[in-house]
Amino acid sequence: MANLKEIRNRIASVSSTMQITSAMKMVSAAKLKKAQDAITAMRPYSDKLTELLQGLSASLDGEAGSKFTDNRVVHKVLVVAITSNRGLCGAFNTNILKQCAVLSAKYEGKQVDFMAIGKKANDILAKKSAVIANHSDIYEDLTFENAAKIAEDLMLKFTSGEYDKIELVYNKFKNAATQIVMTEQFLPLVPVEGDTSVASDYIFEPSKPEIVEQLIPKSLKTQLFKGIRDSFASEHGARMTAMHKATDNATELRDQLKLTYNKARQAAITNEILEIVGGAEALNN
Amino acid sequence: MYLEIVSPEATLFSGEVSSVTVPGVNGEFQMLQNHAPVLSLLQAGDVKIQGDLKIDEDFQHKFTIGNNGETILAISSGTIEMKANKIIVLAD
Repeated sequence: MANLKEIRNRIASVSSTMQITSAMKMVSAAKLKKAQDAITAMRPYSDKLTELLQGLSASLDGEAGSKFTDNRVVHKVLVVAITSNRGLCGAFNTNILKQCAVLSAKYEGKQVDFMAIGKKANDILAKKSAVIANHSDIYEDLTFENAAKIAEDLMLKFTSGEYDKIELVYNKFKNAATQIVMTEQFLPLVPVEGDTSVASDYIFEPSKPEIVEQLIPKSLKTQLFKGIRDSFASEHGARMTAMHKATDNATELRDQLKLTYNKARQAAITNEILEIVGGAEALNN
Repeated sequence: MYLEIVSPEATLFSGEVSSVTVPGVNGEFQMLQNHAPVLSLLQAGDVKIQGDLKIDEDFQHKFTIGNNGETILAISSGTIEMKANKIIVLAD
């Protein structure tokens, strides 16, 4: 039978781990709520922008914005991997890195470079492949302006011909327990099917093509910002679930240890009684 | 008419107003009730709103009050759509 003191120490250590994991769960739950609200808050903007762009580009026959829709022969691919800065969130980051490996295999024979948003992507990807930039600091101040800067950089890399294709890999937020790994083509722009009737009798200022030319970069910035926001909310969701499971496991382990402890204690007491009775018996004889 | 100002981060304002003046790329213009449908790009400048407004407390610091009692929101760029007495300003 295991030593009583040993078991007591293990119970204490499991309990303190449990306290940490349950505290982390609470923190993630609070952060998740905030991140979710942020996603909801940006929805009116992105929906309206998409609606305008769809209506306009459908009536334009794809003439405008050609520098972003240019489907070149693919030689160099840039994959933007959006992960978290911190770990302890289950398979959240692993899923993204797996998807990156899948993409590398898909573009075999072509040059595939990475851009990391989040420390975890940078740490792992840098070991095997070229990471051209790391924007982990965006999580310290997650604003549209900061995301827009990265998006502008990406647009420049595409229009200058440095890369022929840019893909985004991120976790889309479905609910606290479910994240979906998404691979979205960022550039060249995928033409959208729109309803032509939307923009029929408007006064346009300036002309339609000029408006589209201005709206496309905005929509790309919004797309990237949305991806990062989604990933941010997913991260907290994933961490919350992971910590919940850890707390459950710790509770189970603690209960088992307590049982073992009580059994050992009982055995020790029984032993002692036996010894006393034996001793008394010997004296009587 | 109904005005909605949305930024990528939040809906800054929504409610009934009597007139809106915006800094269009080809010059400032004003919109009143029953204006024709417009889709325009905006440049950096002030969006001036006339009317009895109720602005959410969280965003009050973004708005200022002008000399003629109008409410002003400074934007760096944006897009405006006016249709059927509903105006949507996408402010960046």
